[in-house]
Amino acid sequence: MDLIYNIQKSIQDNYDGNAFCISNTYYTYKDFAQIISNIRLVIQTSVKSSEINVGLITNDDIHTYASIIALWMEGKAYVPIHPDFPASRNAMVIKQADISTILDSSVDMIFSEYNTILTKQCKISEINLNPNPISEDDLGYIFFTSGTTGTPKGVPITFGNLSSFIDAFWKLDYTIDNTDRCLQMFELTFDLSVVSYLAPILKGACVYTIPKDEIKYSYIFELMEDYNLTFALMVPSILHYLRPYFDEIDCPAMKYSLFCGEALPLDVTEEWSACVPNATIANVYGPTECTIFCTDYTYKRGEHNKTHNGVLTIGKDMQNTLTIIVDEENNEVIHGQSGELCLSGEQLTPGYWKNEEKNKETFFYKEYNGKNIRFYRTGDLCTVDKEGDILYLGRVDFQAKVQGFRVELSEIEFHAKTALNKINVVAIAFTNSIHNTEIGLVVESPIFETKELLDDLKTKLPQYMIPTQIKFAENFPLNTNGKIDRKKLKELFS
Amino acid sequence: MEIDVIKEKISNALVSILGHNNFEMHDELTAKDVDGWDSLSHMMIITKIEEELNIRFKLRDLNKLKNMGSLVSVIQSKI
Repeated sequence: MDLIYNIQKSIQDNYDGNAFCISNTYYTYKDFAQIISNIRLVIQTSVKSSEINVGLITNDDIHTYASIIALWMEGKAYVPIHPDFPASRNAMVIKQADISTILDSSVDMIFSEYNTILTKQCKISEINLNPNPISEDDLGYIFFTSGTTGTPKGVPITFGNLSSFIDAFWKLDYTIDNTDRCLQMFELTFDLSVVSYLAPILKGACVYTIPKDEIKYSYIFELMEDYNLTFALMVPSILHYLRPYFDEIDCPAMKYSLFCGEALPLDVTEEWSACVPNATIANVYGPTECTIFCTDYTYKRGEHNKTHNGVLTIGKDMQNTLTIIVDEENNEVIHGQSGELCLSGEQLTPGYWKNEEKNKETFFYKEYNGKNIRFYRTGDLCTVDKEGDILYLGRVDFQAKVQGFRVELSEIEFHAKTALNKINVVAIAFTNSIHNTEIGLVVESPIFETKELLDDLKTKLPQYMIPTQIKFAENFPLNTNGKIDRKKLKELFS
Repeated sequence: MEIDVIKEKISNALVSILGHNNFEMHDELTAKDVDGWDSLSHMMIITKIEEELNIRFKLRDLNKLKNMGSLVSVIQSKI
């Protein structure tokens, strides 16, 4: 597997360079190699060779990152376990993934009932970065995401998937080299973290992380300014937090500013472009099931950018991904029509971990260009234009039916945001006491009189799309992935 | 403005956002010591303090607010 050899080579070629900057402390690639080797030795001696999935407590320290590389070099997969998640949820993940060993960099072990390796206490060993033989079908990680039924569902990603992603990522030409300083803002339970540490490691660049007790958005700003970061992948909600302070931000060193994970509004992107005057800004898209991200659009400064309801296009599929948009019978729709975005290609997961029922629901085979190809249903409602650029319209399940009419919640949000001069809003479809669907709107603002807003919306939208209830939240709650927690907001309505 | 007045206004802001006064206003007090003071309510508390004292924090100030002592001294530098 070239990927792991490339990691080995990059670490060895960059021994004197900085690999990580964590809480203002630098670690060189040599330090990293040493810690990886120490942990490997313990894995070799205390983990059975038949054990593939190993739990990893997601702390923010060098030992946790070294644990990932150590596991990969041993041909094992990591399953991130967030120490702050409810114990019952973690227990479900550990059981589902057949985990018996957990790597933990904490001082006091988080779980006492498993074979825990305290990675900070591993003895110093000889440096050994020679990977074990690994095949493309071997697992690199399993990330558990929330399932609709309340049981987390596991998305296993193979080294083949990951390798295809990395190849496709380099093809985008957002180049990184060993002089770059790259942001890693994500919890290790969120797969956007993988590219945020792996791409820099493969090029000998330095990774800058966010300590857990810091306020993310303001800390990111300080890292960007104080360390002249050159590469940053972020979720758009960070931009919403930073927006009131945009006039204080000036980061000319930034070369690439990527966004993923949520709809990226064009107006915020335009304003942000002044804060990172020399950066290429890109909007990338993809679910965990298709390995990190799989479509890409480069924002054009000072030119027309394609949008739908103010949301920037997600662009075209990357090199190793095939995208189609289908109707309810899995037939491809014609250009300009909307349908569910489906993905295929080398980045696609082999299927949910031990969940045949969900696999049958979410994956399907379809004749395409004379071949029988497996596709994944994203649940994202999209349309593609003649040039092949995909426009994100909203979630299939954010689409509501009100009085029999199809309603796109993102459209209501767009008009409300415009009326409110860019104040952020979320439209929610909720079921009222007589089981009809109503539209609620949550405004991220102190309370104000809403008559003017409603009058304005009535001039833009048909009556059935006008929110029947408006609530206020001074700040939208975020889920652990840093996205707006729509479920929590929905609880405001009844 | 007297330190005591600043502290009183901060305390009022905390009570109005968190809905309780189960905390003591000493210099070492951090968000972790106070029920309900999390990353979400933090934004609201900061905004409330800005309103109460008619000041505006810079983005760079936000990371300095590690405990009550530093919060008070950042505010003092602004009024």
